[in-house]
Amino acid sequence: MKRLKKYAALFLSALMICGVMAGCGGNAQEETPTEAENTPAGNREDEVNQEAYETERDTSGGRAMTFGIQNYGGGGIDPAKEINCAWNVSRYGVGECLFMFDNSMNVAEKLCDSYTVNEEHTEWVFHIRDNVKFSDGCALTPEAVKASFERLFEAGKSGSSAPEKFLEEEAEITADNTSGNLTIKTTKPYVDLTKNLAYPVMVILDTEHTTDYDHAAIGTGPYVATNFREEVGYTMVANENYWDGEVPFESIELVYMGDASAKAMALQSGQLDLAENVTNISDLRDLQADPNFTVTIANGVRTGLAHMNVSEGKFLSNKTLREAVLTALDDDTMCAVTVGGLYTSGFSVLPSNLDYGYDNLTDPYAFDPDKAAKLLDEAGIVDTNGDGTRELDGKEIVLKYVTYSNRCLDDFAEAIQQQLAAIGIGVDLEIGDSARQWDSYQSGDFDLNGSNWTTVGTGDPTEYLAAWCSTSGADYCGYKNDEYDALFEELGATFDTEARREIIQKMQQILIDDAVAVVHGYYNSSMISKNETIGGAAIHTADYYWITTEIYPAS
Amino acid sequence: MKFKSFVKKNKSFCVFAVLALLIVLAAVFAPIVTGGVSPTEAVLKDALKPPGGNHIFGTDKLGRDIFTRVIYGARTSLTASFSVVILIFGLGTALGVLAGYFGGWTDTVIMRIADMMVSFPGMVFAMAIAGVLGASVRNAVLAVALVSWTKYARLARSLVLKIRNQDYVAAALVTGSKTPYILKRYMVPNVIPALIITAATDIGGMMLELAGLSFLGFGAKAPTPEWGLMLNEGRQFIQSAPWMMIYPGAAIFVVVVVFNLLGDALRDILDPRDE
Repeated sequence: MKRLKKYAALFLSALMICGVMAGCGGNAQEETPTEAENTPAGNREDEVNQEAYETERDTSGGRAMTFGIQNYGGGGIDPAKEINCAWNVSRYGVGECLFMFDNSMNVAEKLCDSYTVNEEHTEWVFHIRDNVKFSDGCALTPEAVKASFERLFEAGKSGSSAPEKFLEEEAEITADNTSGNLTIKTTKPYVDLTKNLAYPVMVILDTEHTTDYDHAAIGTGPYVATNFREEVGYTMVANENYWDGEVPFESIELVYMGDASAKAMALQSGQLDLAENVTNISDLRDLQADPNFTVTIANGVRTGLAHMNVSEGKFLSNKTLREAVLTALDDDTMCAVTVGGLYTSGFSVLPSNLDYGYDNLTDPYAFDPDKAAKLLDEAGIVDTNGDGTRELDGKEIVLKYVTYSNRCLDDFAEAIQQQLAAIGIGVDLEIGDSARQWDSYQSGDFDLNGSNWTTVGTGDPTEYLAAWCSTSGADYCGYKNDEYDALFEELGATFDTEARREIIQKMQQILIDDAVAVVHGYYNSSMISKNETIGGAAIHTADYYWITTEIYPAS
Repeated sequence: MKFKSFVKKNKSFCVFAVLALLIVLAAVFAPIVTGGVSPTEAVLKDALKPPGGNHIFGTDKLGRDIFTRVIYGARTSLTASFSVVILIFGLGTALGVLAGYFGGWTDTVIMRIADMMVSFPGMVFAMAIAGVLGASVRNAVLAVALVSWTKYARLARSLVLKIRNQDYVAAALVTGSKTPYILKRYMVPNVIPALIITAATDIGGMMLELAGLSFLGFGAKAPTPEWGLMLNEGRQFIQSAPWMMIYPGAAIFVVVVVFNLLGDALRDILDPRDE
C-alpha cells in the first residue's frame, strides 16, 4: 500500500512535469498568408445615417432621460484644464462658443450673430448676440466674453488645452458693451479665426460667478451641470434662462459607461434612453436591427491610424519595410469585417469625405501580401535563422506597437499583428490606456503608435498635418521631408480656399508616397436612441455636440 | 494484482488521473489534435463564424479557429499553472523548513515577510506586481507565485516544528549528523506528503488566478492562445457570438474541475490522518 502511495505521488509529479513540457513544444506550423479574394467594399455609404427619429413631441414638461456616455477627462468641464474637459463642457450642453460647426464642418453663428474682418485678417469685430444669458441669469456681454478669454489664458498656463493654439495670447481684446462688439486684434493674420473660436476650448463661461470650474462651470448652454459624482456622472438640469428656445428635458442623467457592450445592454434593458458611440459592431448591428431603437451614424472627421516612427535607428526608418507593411495590410477587410463597418477604409491621412482632393490621390500600396514579401526578399530583408521572423541589419524585426482599447483601435492592432506575421514581421503589441499611448507617442518609444485623431478640429487640417512637419514642433515620428515642410509653411500663409486645398492635396500625396502612416480608415461616430422615449437624437459630424435642444422627449 | 486492488480502492483518483492525463496529452500533442492548424492563423474574412463546418467551435473576431486556440490554450494554461505550483512548492517548502528548523531570527524574518504578503488581498497584489512588471505570461506566473508561496511556508514550518524536538532528531544531532543531512533525511520527507496534497489541490485555483490576470490584461498578450485572454476577447461579443466565450470558459471549467477533484482524490490517498 505504501508503495502504491509513492507511485501515486510520483505519477502526480510526472504529470506536472509533462504539463510544463507541454508548453515547451514548438509550433512548427507555418502561417499561411491571407488569401487575396475579392475584397468587400470598405466604403459603405449606406452605413451613414444622420437622420434622427422624429416623432410627436411630449410638451407636458417635467420629462427626464438617461444618457450613457464614455467618461473622458475624468468628467471635468474646465476648458482650460485639458482638451477632453473642453469637449465635455460642449458635449454636455453646458457651454457654447461664439461659433459652432455644422455637419459639413462649416462655421455657423452661435453666441456671435455677425462679424467683420479687415483685409489683413488681423482685426476681427464680433457682434455678441443680444439677450443671451448665462444659466445663472447674468447677461452675456462683450465684457463677459473678454473676461472668459482672459481667464482661459490665465488658467490655461497650468492646464494642457493650450488656448494659444486657437488664439494667440498677444491678441488685443477690447469689449464695448454699448455697441455689443468684441474686437480682437492679432499680431499675425488668421486665415479664419471664426473656426478657431468655434473650437470647444474657446467656450464662453461666466467667470464672475463660476466658483467650481471643474464640475459646475456656468455657461450659456441649454443644461446646467449639477451633482457630479466621480466615475458615475452628472445630473444635468434645464437652464431656465436659455436664450435659444425651450429646453426639452427638465433633467438628464449622464451615466458614465466605458464598456460598449454594457452600454448596448443598458439600452436594451431600458436603463438608458440614449447612448453615444457603441463601438462594438456586433451590438450596434443588434440595435440597428431592433425597430425600438434609432441608430444614427456620421461619416465623421476622425482618422484611425498608426503613426510610424521613422527616426534613425528604428526599424521603420527603412522605407522598403514601411512599403511592405502597407502592402501587407488588407484595409478593406479590416474596415468592413474586423470592425464591421465602424470605419470607412481609405489610404490618406485625411478622410475621404472631406473636400481635400481624396479622389485625385493615388495609393501605390494596394493590398498584396505576395508583393509585400517579394519587396522584402528583394531588399535582402529575409529570415536567415529560420524562426519565421525576418531580420534587418542583424536584428529580428519585432515592431513595438502601442495603442489602446477604444474605437476599435485594439482590433486593428491585432489584425495588423496577424497580417504582418504572415510576411515574417513580428509585432509586440502593447494595449494600454490612451495616456500610455500618448506618452509613448511623445517620447518616441514606439515603432507603430495607433490612435484616432480628429483631423479638422478647427474646421481645418493644418494642426493635424503638423504631426509630420519637422519644423512644427509636433513631429514625434522623426519624419523629415523638405518639400512637405515647405508646403506646410506655405499653407500657414495662404488664405485662398482653392489654393489651400491644392497644397493639402499635395501634402497628402507626399505622406502616402513616403509610407509614413498605417491608415486604418475613417471613423464613423454613432448615437443610439430609444424610440419610445427619445426623438430628434442624431450624431453630429463634429464630435463636440452630444446634448442639444434638438433631442426631445417622445410623446 | 496490487495495481488492480489500488484501482478498485481508489476509483475516483484513477478516473480523474486519466482525465488529467488526457488533458495533458491534448496539450502536448496539440498540433496533431488540431490537424496542423496554427492557433494564430487569421483569415480576416472568416471572422465570427458560428460553430460548424471547418470550425467546430466557430471562429473569433480575426477569423481564427477557436477549437485550435482552446487546445493550444491548454499548453499555456497548464504550463503556467504547473510552473506557479512548482515555484511556490519549492520556494515555500524551502523557506518554511528553514524557518521551522532554525527558529530565531531566521524564523522571524521569513515569517514576517510571509505575514506582509498575506496582509494584502492576493489577487490585487498579483495585479499590482504584474502591472509593474508588464503584461506577459511569465510575469503573471511570477506575480501569482510571489503572493502564493506563504501558504506552503507556513505549512512546512508548522510541520517541521512538530518534529523538530522529537527524540530521534535529538538523537541524530548527538550522533553527529550534519544539519543538511538532518534537513534532507528527517525534515523534508516529513513535510512533503502534506505539501504535495496542497500543491495538487492548488493547481485548479492557480489556473483560475492566471486566467483572471489574463482576462484583466495583466497576463498573456495577444495573439497568445490563452483561455483568460480569449474570454476577454469574446466579452464584447457575448450577445452576437457567444461561442467566443463559451468554449474557453468551458475549457477552464473542465480543467479546473478535473484538477481539483484529482487533488481531492490524492488527498484521500495520501492524507496521513488516514493511517
